[in-house]
Amino acid sequence: MTSLPRDGAPPLAIDTPIRRRVLLLARRRPTTRGSLLALLALALAVMLAPLLAPQNPYDLASLSVMDNRLAPGEQGMGGITYWLGTDSQGRDMLSAILHGMRTSLIVGVASTAIALAIGVAAGLVAAQFGGAIDSAIMRLVDFMLGFPSILVALVLLSAIGRGVDKVILAIVLVQWAQYARLMRAAAMVERRKEYIEAAVNFGLPTRHIMLAHLLPNSIGSVLVVATISIASAIALEATLSFLGVGVPVTQPSLGLLIANGFEFLLSGEYWIAVFPGLALVALIMSINLIGDRLRRSLNRRAL
Amino acid sequence: MFSPKIVLGLTAACLYALPAASQNLRVALSSEPTALDPHYHDLSPNNALAMHIFDSLVLQDEKQFPRPGLALSWTSDGQKTWTFKLRQGVNFSNGKPFTADDVIFSFCRTLKNETAVAGSYADITANFVSVRAPDPHTVVIETKEVDPFLPNYLAGVAMLSSSIVTHDKLTFDVPNNCGVKGAWPTIANFNDGSMAIGTGPYKLKSYVKGAHIELERNPRYWGNAEPWENVRFVPVTNAGPRLAGLLAGDYDVIENPAARDLGRIRDDQRFGHIITPSTRVIYFQLDVGRDDSPFVKAEKGGNPLKDARVRKAMLMAIDREAIIKRIMDGAAEQAHQFLPTGMSGTLPAPPVTKYDPRAAKALLAEAGYPNGFSLTLSSTNDRYINDGQVTQAVAQYLTQIGIKTEVDAMSRALYFPRRAKKEFSVAIGGWSSGTGEASSFLKQWGATPNAAKTVGGSNYGGYSDKAFDEVINKAITTMDVTQREVLLRKAGAHLIEAGVFMPLHFESTIWAYKGNLKITGRFDQYTLAMSVRPAK
Repeated sequence: MTSLPRDGAPPLAIDTPIRRRVLLLARRRPTTRGSLLALLALALAVMLAPLLAPQNPYDLASLSVMDNRLAPGEQGMGGITYWLGTDSQGRDMLSAILHGMRTSLIVGVASTAIALAIGVAAGLVAAQFGGAIDSAIMRLVDFMLGFPSILVALVLLSAIGRGVDKVILAIVLVQWAQYARLMRAAAMVERRKEYIEAAVNFGLPTRHIMLAHLLPNSIGSVLVVATISIASAIALEATLSFLGVGVPVTQPSLGLLIANGFEFLLSGEYWIAVFPGLALVALIMSINLIGDRLRRSLNRRAL
Repeated sequence: MFSPKIVLGLTAACLYALPAASQNLRVALSSEPTALDPHYHDLSPNNALAMHIFDSLVLQDEKQFPRPGLALSWTSDGQKTWTFKLRQGVNFSNGKPFTADDVIFSFCRTLKNETAVAGSYADITANFVSVRAPDPHTVVIETKEVDPFLPNYLAGVAMLSSSIVTHDKLTFDVPNNCGVKGAWPTIANFNDGSMAIGTGPYKLKSYVKGAHIELERNPRYWGNAEPWENVRFVPVTNAGPRLAGLLAGDYDVIENPAARDLGRIRDDQRFGHIITPSTRVIYFQLDVGRDDSPFVKAEKGGNPLKDARVRKAMLMAIDREAIIKRIMDGAAEQAHQFLPTGMSGTLPAPPVTKYDPRAAKALLAEAGYPNGFSLTLSSTNDRYINDGQVTQAVAQYLTQIGIKTEVDAMSRALYFPRRAKKEFSVAIGGWSSGTGEASSFLKQWGATPNAAKTVGGSNYGGYSDKAFDEVINKAITTMDVTQREVLLRKAGAHLIEAGVFMPLHFESTIWAYKGNLKITGRFDQYTLAMSVRPAK
């Protein structure tokens, strides 16, 4: 069942521990190192947003309409310099981006984590018990994967309304199925191996086999996919917010900031849309690059 | 090789073909009509679209003065009886002649229209005791209450063809179905085009909700033929893409480009624009009727909006000048009453509530809310000019005096039905007086709802004041112009003093268009193909 690498000399020994592989690769590849650094910097900025941001864009009392649509570098009435300009409500774009990225990251990470937990559980159960349970779960998964994710999320959010929690719910709903399918496949492969047979013959309880043997040995590939899915969750959230069904207007995420800025592009006020757009690109790209590298470095073992 | 004759001929053919090609007019709308049914909902986009296909007994010119429409003349006996002489030789687009029967049928339909929103149009016809037709071209209307504005109101009631239903003799006998056999037309019958038959200058070619509305010239129109063979309306809710479409040549006329973007076309010969003041007032309506309002939360419970001091503090907290300057880019006028000063029934010098956040905060403390309370402003984001932005700015100002304010901005398709169900606490509104005088707003929004008296249809805030009701009900039944004027001013002053509405500004309407066109801007903000003409 194990396949050997086809692409010539393996860069790392098969038995190199995962942690070491990632570190080694990061050291070797400047792009990986760059994106790792970028992501760390972004995560840090996001965590420290309330301290770093010159203004709290959530607090309407600290905004002034009189300072609206200032160009980058202009000074407001209160003497503050707005380095990335202000939006139509007088919101400092730098602060709005830092806070918006926070919303985006929270949605991305939380929805992926929840979807992962649900999907892994469902896949594991399907693989372990097989038969009718397997069929039931997998048909549900097929059904879910049959719809375009943006459509499901749009319909759901139109029905239940806006809010960060609701966006997370919508993304979980569209993402759990792909983890379930992956997890089932990986666990099925693992189940046919001798050590599992041994464990079964040894009379170990099913729960123990599932949690102590199947889960840790088959979750690797799913985790890698999950990393990349954070990026797609963030993109989905941005799309939903851009379309006006995501987060509420008073809690801007990156997608909503871009949507707000979109209508000012024609009058030359580019900064309201372009800077949040660049932040979104940086965030998604660094996560994708790391996820991609992770997938390659774990390739031999996982897939 | 072509001979000179052929070349000349081809050139001539090209020249001949040019005017034909330019007979198409493409218009981008900022707000899509919600239905083709002219009796469905009294909204400006719906009324504007209806005016292309349907006529009314009375028409309004660009300054909202009544002009003869399907009725050539009308007289009143000074009391409750009105006589309308109908225009002769008018045919519907399906070839059927227009007669008094169609008038009776149309009035009946507004009262038998179960799909209508908020009693639209029925508020006019519910006041009729009888409608008689002594001859096929005369209609006599007798009203329950004296109605001095009847001709103005009838400008809003579209005339349908009675041939769209099967019927016996048509009479204004509403309880007995007016002589109509079978089902009354529904909104769906109009939207699919099968019953969209009128006497107007255009007829419907196709309607795809959310995509386009296509009209073509009605060859049977009684008036002068329109210069446009085909008219295509496309809804484009974002101002940026609307202007970009004009610049790219996709549209010939666009409604409401953002005032901030006008710099793009100001010095360009290929485009023109016009800014016209309108009678549309933008305001917030406060829920003062309920002790427990869905989007108001105060620490000690209850509904702070019921306290007049709180309402006054809220109005004082809003810098209307800043909103006009920074959000509306100057294309609006401050509103201190509900119709621009100078129009019939308005106060010559309305009391001005000045922006004073400090005094507002003190007043709020005096009312017992030193720490404010929480509030959600509900608003559309695709109906009025910059509506979402204006609401956010108001939220900012309210937050600055300690009222923790959230904004819930949504599409008008969601908003209007929810507002009609009174799901909001503080709701944006925009009202353009259909009759061009003050009673329109006062009776529709301020009066205690009374279906029989056809007042209070939009009183979603639950405001109810006997003294106000008395004055406004008297005003709308006073035939004498001077007396009525006095009463309307009194009612207006009363409603402003009550503070249950926070008027912000009067919108100015902007149209931008290709340089080879000219447009007559309308006070009622309607975008009509009939207002667009080739430049010379």
